[in-house]
Formats: sequence, C-alpha cells, structure tokens
Amino acid sequence: MIDLLASLGRRGLDWFQAFGRAHLLLLAMFRGFIDIVHRPRLLIDQLNSVGVRTLLIIAVAGLFVGMVLSLQGYYILSRFGGESALGLMVAASLVRELGPVLAALLFAGRAGSALTAEIGLMKATEQLSGLEMMGVNPQYRVLAPRFLAGLISVPLLAAIFSTLGVFGGWMVGGAMLGVDEGAFWGGMQDGIDFSDDVINGVIKSMVFGFVCTWIATFQGYDCVPTSEGVSRATTRTVVYASLAVLGLDFVLTALMFG
Amino acid sequence: MNTKSPMTNDDTLVRIRGLRFMRGDRAIFDGMDIDIPRDKVTAIMGPSGTGKTTLLKLIGGQLRPDEGTIEVDGQDVHSLSTDALYKLRMRMGMLFQSGALLTDLSVFENVAFPLREHTALDESTLRTLVLLKLEAVGLRGARDLMPAELSGGMARRVALARAIALDPTMIMYDEPFAGQDPISMGVIVQLIRRLNDAARISSIVVSHDVRETTAIADLVYVISAGKVVESGSPEQLKRDGGEWTRQFLQGLPDGPVPFHFPAPSLANDLLGAEV
Repeated sequence: MIDLLASLGRRGLDWFQAFGRAHLLLLAMFRGFIDIVHRPRLLIDQLNSVGVRTLLIIAVAGLFVGMVLSLQGYYILSRFGGESALGLMVAASLVRELGPVLAALLFAGRAGSALTAEIGLMKATEQLSGLEMMGVNPQYRVLAPRFLAGLISVPLLAAIFSTLGVFGGWMVGGAMLGVDEGAFWGGMQDGIDFSDDVINGVIKSMVFGFVCTWIATFQGYDCVPTSEGVSRATTRTVVYASLAVLGLDFVLTALMFG
Repeated sequence: MNTKSPMTNDDTLVRIRGLRFMRGDRAIFDGMDIDIPRDKVTAIMGPSGTGKTTLLKLIGGQLRPDEGTIEVDGQDVHSLSTDALYKLRMRMGMLFQSGALLTDLSVFENVAFPLREHTALDESTLRTLVLLKLEAVGLRGARDLMPAELSGGMARRVALARAIALDPTMIMYDEPFAGQDPISMGVIVQLIRRLNDAARISSIVVSHDVRETTAIADLVYVISAGKVVESGSPEQLKRDGGEWTRQFLQGLPDGPVPFHFPAPSLANDLLGAEV
C-alpha cells in the first residue's frame, strides 16, 4: 500500500515537473519569436515543412468529409422536405466543429508526430547539444520557428479544410443529388454568421494549433534521447494532442455557443 | 607526482573545485578539483564510465553539478544567466564524440553555420574561411557532401573544422581519435597541437588513446571513481606514476584498475543464488 502511494506520488511529481518544464519551454519559444523577426527565413522554411506538406491530406480529407456530410444530411433532411437547409447544415458543421477539430487531429498525426520525431532525433544525435555548444540556443533557433509555424498553419489548414468541405458538400448535394443551388448557397449565406460561426471557428483552430504544436515541440525536446524514447514521445504527441483537441473543443463550444 | 591541481594562478583557464555530480544514487564525481591551464593541451584520461564526457558537459554548462563550482575564464559557469552562458560558449569549441553535425546541412554549411549565426561576414569571406577550415582537416573536397554520406571519422573531422570556425579560446575534444585511420589520426594529433601552439587555443582532450594523447598533452589528469587519481606531465606519469596509472597507461590486464563493473560472483549469478 505504501509502495503504491509512493509510486503515485512519484508519478504526480514527475507530471508536475514535466508541466513546469513545458511552460518554461513555452516562455523560451515566445522569446525566440524576437529572433524570427530578424530572420524570417527560419519561419518560411518551417511553414513549408509543417504547413504546406500537410496541405494534401487536409485537402483530400476536407473534400471527402464535406461529401459524406452532404450525403448523410440529404438522406435525413429529405425525409422532412428540408433539402434546402443542406448548405447551411454542411457549412455550419464544418465551420463550427469539423473543420477546426479534424484539421487539428490530422495536423497532430501528420505534422505533430513529424515535429516530435525530428526534434527528438536531433536530441538523440547530439545536434541540439552541438548547437548549445556553438552558442546557439536551440529553443530559439530550432523550436521557436516550428512552434510559430504551427500556430500560423493550423488556422489556415482548418480554413482550407472547411472550404473544400463545403465544395465537396455542393458536389454531392448540388451537382449529384439535385438540391437547388440557390437554396444551397442562399441558406448558407443567411444562416452562417461571420462573427459567431467563422470567427469562433478560427479561434478554435488557433487554440488547437497552439496546443498541438506546443505538445509536439515539448515532447521532442523532453524525450529520452534513444530510439525507444523518440518512438514513445512521438506516440505521446499524437495521443495527448488528439485528446487535448477533443477536450478543448467541448470547453470552447460550451463557452462560445452555450 | 601529485593528486592535487598543479595550477592555481591566473594561468588557469578552467578551475573546478569540489565538484560533485550524481547520476541517481551513483556519484560520478565526488569532490573533484581540476585546473586546466591556458594555452596548453590538457588530457583527461581514465577507464570507460568514469565520467570524462560528463565532465566536458559540466564545463560547457550543459549539466549542473550537485555541488562545487566550475569557472571558465573567471566566470562561474553555473551562475551565469542563459544569455551570458551562450556568450561564453561562443568562446568554447566542442568536438562531440558523434560529430553532432546538422544532418540537413551540407559539410560546407555545417562549418559555415557558427559563422553565419554569430558574425556578419560577407559571403566571399565566409567561403574563404570555411574552405580554409576544411582544408585544415583534409576535407575541402568533401564540402558538398551531406553528413549521411560521410564515414564516422570524416564526420568528426568536419565537426572539428566547425569547432574551430569561430577561433575559440578553448576547445574540448571528446574522443577525437576514435574511428580515425592512421593517417587521419596523425593529422588530427598534429592539428590539435598546431591549433594550440599557433592559434593559442587551449585544449582539453578526453581520450582512451594513450599513445596519441600523451604525445601531444602538456598535462594529464587521470581520473577514476569520481576523483583525480594522479596528474602531471605525460613523462612524469610514465616515470613516477603509481601502480594504477601505470596499468592504465600501459594497458596491462592485471592491476588495481577493475575490468568488470561491480557485480556479485559469477558462481552466484549462474546458480541463481541470492546476493
């Protein structure tokens, strides 16, 4: 019993220590933003690596999610003669929930895991130590540009996801199932409020981008520098980031739309 | 022969006092005193697992001691602010055992990296400097290769070129001779000595290669069990060293230096008996 309590206590202390280290890293990365102002190239490279290379999976997923949403929505709405609300339903679902959430989940799986693995391997191969001994702070030089790139990329990726989702919804609803195009687009235009829906969706995706990239960079930087340690850190990134996104989505939804 | 530090005046570049460093319950260093003199080649030698690389990381401020102080050029490394520590590191070069090259940059860009980060040199001057550094380690022709295309020995030579790129006050070499062919080994031995004499770069060499290290070292510290066993010039140690040092320097199988990590008897282990 005492051993169990001691083990729980130890784990609790380890968790709080890691939490503290994560916040110190976050402060350091904010400080690193100053360097990026003077050297934008660092950010541009990471925007390409973190954002542009995630674009394909986001685009394809967005398109198919919109198509499925439209198909399912049509089957239900047509029972009540409410097909004209299909555009509104697809757009509201995507802009408010599915766009930010699914884009963040895909980002965590594609770019977050890659970030953790890259930083973890740099640690395991002493590249981060090498930078430190050259008088270059890796928190500013390596982590901060990646973190900022994640912050910028996720809202943009979510916007692209939602846009292509709406397009996919129109392809199925408007072009294939014959829903009136005027009703489809008009309903969407009338029902979607820019500040309530679009801005709230953007805020959500900014929060998700912040959390996903913070988790990814911290897990890479704090990992045990072995192949197993990097592997575990990569898994933790995907699991923690996914759970954080889903949990935060509930909290944010309750605050914004409750 | 002595077990205390021979340098105590201003000639001391690195001053270590009462160093204690623990890994879990094991004391890697337990009240160790070391003085690294300026403009000399100082070798830190000892069996595997004695914490030689750890000592370099402590000097570079990458690890914190549990007790004791480490001063580099009069500055207490572990009481400096982060920015001051990074400034100090610009004056320290370090050659890592693995090379620690940035894998997404070519050989040329790896050597140019510290120059690009810390100086505002124009591209033509930078190119000249990088090529001269690469020439010194015999790898000017490999400047366009990526680190993945280099052998372990070549990677360490590139890392050496990078370590000297900023003309530091001191360089810490972690096993610089490991994995080198005889020709490269000879060149690196000479290069370390030449850098020390011509560029007045103080050198700390951590190595197992007794012959090469003692050939260029002005001062040797032999460490074991968290303490300095003996120190002095290579000649002094070879001539007057105790049984422990003699066994280590001559690579003798029998003597006071244990080959085995502490363990219960083999018979007990094989029979599965409790310790």
